[in-house]
Amino acid sequence: MPKIDVSHKDLCGLIGRKLSTEQLADEVLYAKGELDEVNGDTLKIDIKDTNRPDLWSAEGVAREIRARSKKSGLQVYEVRKSSYVVNVDTKSASQPMTVSVVAKNIHIDDAFMSQIIQLQEKLSVTFGRNRKDISMGIYDIDKITFPLTYTSLHPEKIRLVPLDFKREINGNEILELHPKGKEFGHLLKGHEQYPIWVDANKNILSMPPIINSDSHGKVVKSTKNVFIECTGYDMKILNTAICILAAQMADRGANLYSVKVNYGKKSILTPDMSPKKFYTTVSYVNKVIGTGLTDKKFIELAEKSLYDAKIVGRKVEILYPAYRQDIMHERDIVEDIAISLGFNSLEPLNPKLITKGGLLRDQIYADRIAEVMTGCGFQEILSYTLTNTSNLFEKMNIAGKAIEIEKPQSSNWSVFRTSLLPGLMEFLAKNKHVEYPQSVFEIGDTIVEDQSVQTRSKDVPKMTAVISAAVVNYDQISSTLDALLRNIGIEYTLKKSSHPSFIEGRTAEILVGKTHTGFIGEIHPAVLNGWDLENPVVAFEIDLEEIFNLLRKR
Amino acid sequence: MTYILTQEGKNYLKHGLPEKRLVELLKDRNGIQMNDAASALGKEFSIALQWCKKYKCIDVVNGKLILTNHENIKDVEDLQAGMELLSKGKEPINILILLSRKLAEKAGESIIERAEKFVGKEITNLNLEIIKTGTWKKVKIKPYNVEAVGKRQIGKRHPYNKFLQETRQKLVEMGFQEMTGPTIELEFWNFDALFQPQNHPSRGWTQTYSLVRPKDGLLPDKALVERVKAAHENGWRTGSTGWGYKWDPAKATKLMPRAHGTAMSARMLANKPKIPGKYFAISRCYRPDVIDATHGVEFNQTEGIVLDESLTLRSLLGILKEFALEFAGAEKVKFLPDYYPFTEPSVQMSAKHPKLGWVELGGAGIFREELTQPLGVNVPVIAWGLGIDRLAMFKLGIGDIRYLFSQNLDWLRKQVVV
Repeated sequence: MPKIDVSHKDLCGLIGRKLSTEQLADEVLYAKGELDEVNGDTLKIDIKDTNRPDLWSAEGVAREIRARSKKSGLQVYEVRKSSYVVNVDTKSASQPMTVSVVAKNIHIDDAFMSQIIQLQEKLSVTFGRNRKDISMGIYDIDKITFPLTYTSLHPEKIRLVPLDFKREINGNEILELHPKGKEFGHLLKGHEQYPIWVDANKNILSMPPIINSDSHGKVVKSTKNVFIECTGYDMKILNTAICILAAQMADRGANLYSVKVNYGKKSILTPDMSPKKFYTTVSYVNKVIGTGLTDKKFIELAEKSLYDAKIVGRKVEILYPAYRQDIMHERDIVEDIAISLGFNSLEPLNPKLITKGGLLRDQIYADRIAEVMTGCGFQEILSYTLTNTSNLFEKMNIAGKAIEIEKPQSSNWSVFRTSLLPGLMEFLAKNKHVEYPQSVFEIGDTIVEDQSVQTRSKDVPKMTAVISAAVVNYDQISSTLDALLRNIGIEYTLKKSSHPSFIEGRTAEILVGKTHTGFIGEIHPAVLNGWDLENPVVAFEIDLEEIFNLLRKR
Repeated sequence: MTYILTQEGKNYLKHGLPEKRLVELLKDRNGIQMNDAASALGKEFSIALQWCKKYKCIDVVNGKLILTNHENIKDVEDLQAGMELLSKGKEPINILILLSRKLAEKAGESIIERAEKFVGKEITNLNLEIIKTGTWKKVKIKPYNVEAVGKRQIGKRHPYNKFLQETRQKLVEMGFQEMTGPTIELEFWNFDALFQPQNHPSRGWTQTYSLVRPKDGLLPDKALVERVKAAHENGWRTGSTGWGYKWDPAKATKLMPRAHGTAMSARMLANKPKIPGKYFAISRCYRPDVIDATHGVEFNQTEGIVLDESLTLRSLLGILKEFALEFAGAEKVKFLPDYYPFTEPSVQMSAKHPKLGWVELGGAGIFREELTQPLGVNVPVIAWGLGIDRLAMFKLGIGDIRYLFSQNLDWLRKQVVV
């Protein structure tokens, strides 16, 4: 969900109408936007669509709003032929492909400048996955000499003054010293040669995907004509990006010129701004939306969506802008038509479907168990399923293995619980100042490895109860266990056992038939010390998977 | 220590123990109606019946009393003999049994005598002697400070869990069947089956977790996997161009903590759902967000699907509107365009909550055909998600999402249950 900043005044200028913030809040819906914040002239717009980079600028938003009021149809972008040539001769495996455009006669003011910077940032970071797929540069055409070469060099041979720097440094130093080098240098790690742009006078213009040259790759407010390039791996992605950048310039009144890009003997003309074609039918669109649009009405809505539409036999031929890369299926056209129609102008329809609702059996059982436990005077608690090995094992004086997540945000939440008891101990530790006795329980999933299933792991529901007070005894907890199991009709026995979390001679395992179904006992003082608890604790934990299996068989 | 017969003991010594009397009656009139026996024995009938059952000497069949084995009550003879001895001032060998049946008591300590001690005094506690003998008429009962407030703790459900339970119940009433799925999920179900391309930014580690161990699982049914692969690469038979990249099965076998409940919807679709069908799940989901007042790394998602040939975008709006009324008590709603990689069109709904004003209540969309058809579903499927946590926070009066999992016992104890 890219968030963009735009100037209210600038946006209205691009739309060609004066709109209040209230009006804009309604109209940005056409650009799948939501007006998040108004701060003087600055509007923060949240563009919902992560697959529509063409909307991530004031120009893109204005284009959609403009079209809805004017039924503009497809906007044609003229790209004039030129003699600008780029020769691609890169030996670097990093971003071997490039596309470019020349835009002339631009007038850069503060608002336009910030849109240029913002769109490049959004395209390379969000759409280009942190410059992994797209890196781009913009240059003052009057400071460089064509033809340009997109080539590569050993980093120590690359010497330039990077943007915002005062002295010339080499390619390795750029990665070490420049903030952008530190941020994106990993994209070049391991490559023998780094990609560079060089002009006919052998000036190094930039070192993609890191930084431009301060002397030859900088655009200021007085710049009138620019050269824009995108480098990467995938021509489909690069074409989308260059079309979006070209459209931004053209929408601000620039004249676009093509650039011939030579890959050895093969050459291509960029940008390719010719419209793309897709077919749908009016009946399909009506079926998905639930409307009865006529052909005429459909064409009107298509034109509001920046399409050209014409009926060809039973089908509709749609011509749509080159910068749209999201149209894969007729469905994508349906959405645009629905947005032009306005979601809020559609009458909601309540489908009368005859279906039978129901809860999962296990959910019902868990609920009944909670009922018995509250009847026994126990407070239900809830904890996270993520925890850490210190709580789960070390403080409980046991050894064990748990499913571990990679790169956890915090080491406090790094493994999945295999038992609920540590969570209840933590709860007691957090509530030492609260009146005793404290009787609490939790029902929840533990997550454990299981090589026999496709996900190599399974959720095992458990139920754990603890009592802590100045004086507690085994009978208090064993009678609770008995009350629970008797009231859900489960027969069980207790067998003297030993468990490192419990006092020797005061712990037993819970057997249902011959199956081990949990444990019960008085917590070992060493464990109490580990949790910094001062009152004794008795506890039991039962495995509900086994219990639920038995209940389901009834 | 000397013992004497109680009033009851004296009575039985004279007339016979009730169980003995019942057996004697049945010896004469075996099979007598219970009512008749009761009137013959009077108020001692229930005691008689209780002991006869205990001795297993009678059966009750269709309201009739049948003598089975009168030999079984020979203990009665010992009691009778004991009472006789005691009446002559001798301590019988079975005195403890007589005491336990309240046929005998300590001499000089009759209930009346014990009660006598309280006459004319101020007492704090009422007791058996005072109540039974009527001595309460002759004592003064000390008043309590009845204005002192008593306090005790009770067992309660966790308020958030209770809220989720009520949500489940509402959805069931609306015809939704609950579904389930594993916490640790294959990327296949979390992403690929939902038509999210493998190079989509949301698959990077900054937004979802991966595991150190176990790392990889097994893909489901091969034919299904092939259809999903084809949908990604070229659209399969759906009329779509697909994403146009080479789909990598190795990526789909990666395991991850479920990032959204939609993974369960995908499993449901592939598992022969009913048509028409309505399904929902409330599930724990995991995303490496920065933990703050409105984001936790672990949170509950409420979402589901509706399947039917007749469904359209307008029915989607109708379903959302019903949710708004049901969950936020909101009559007024507004719909905004939204984006999910797996639905098209996608809608976000804001509802006018009576107290909160406009709240973003949920999102929904119609699943793309590239998603539904490879999973074997050929009717429109509406997918919806509800942001009920926000309503839960409001209902429970809390401003911090972490408090939904409150670990504060004092707060939990103070929560009211209605």
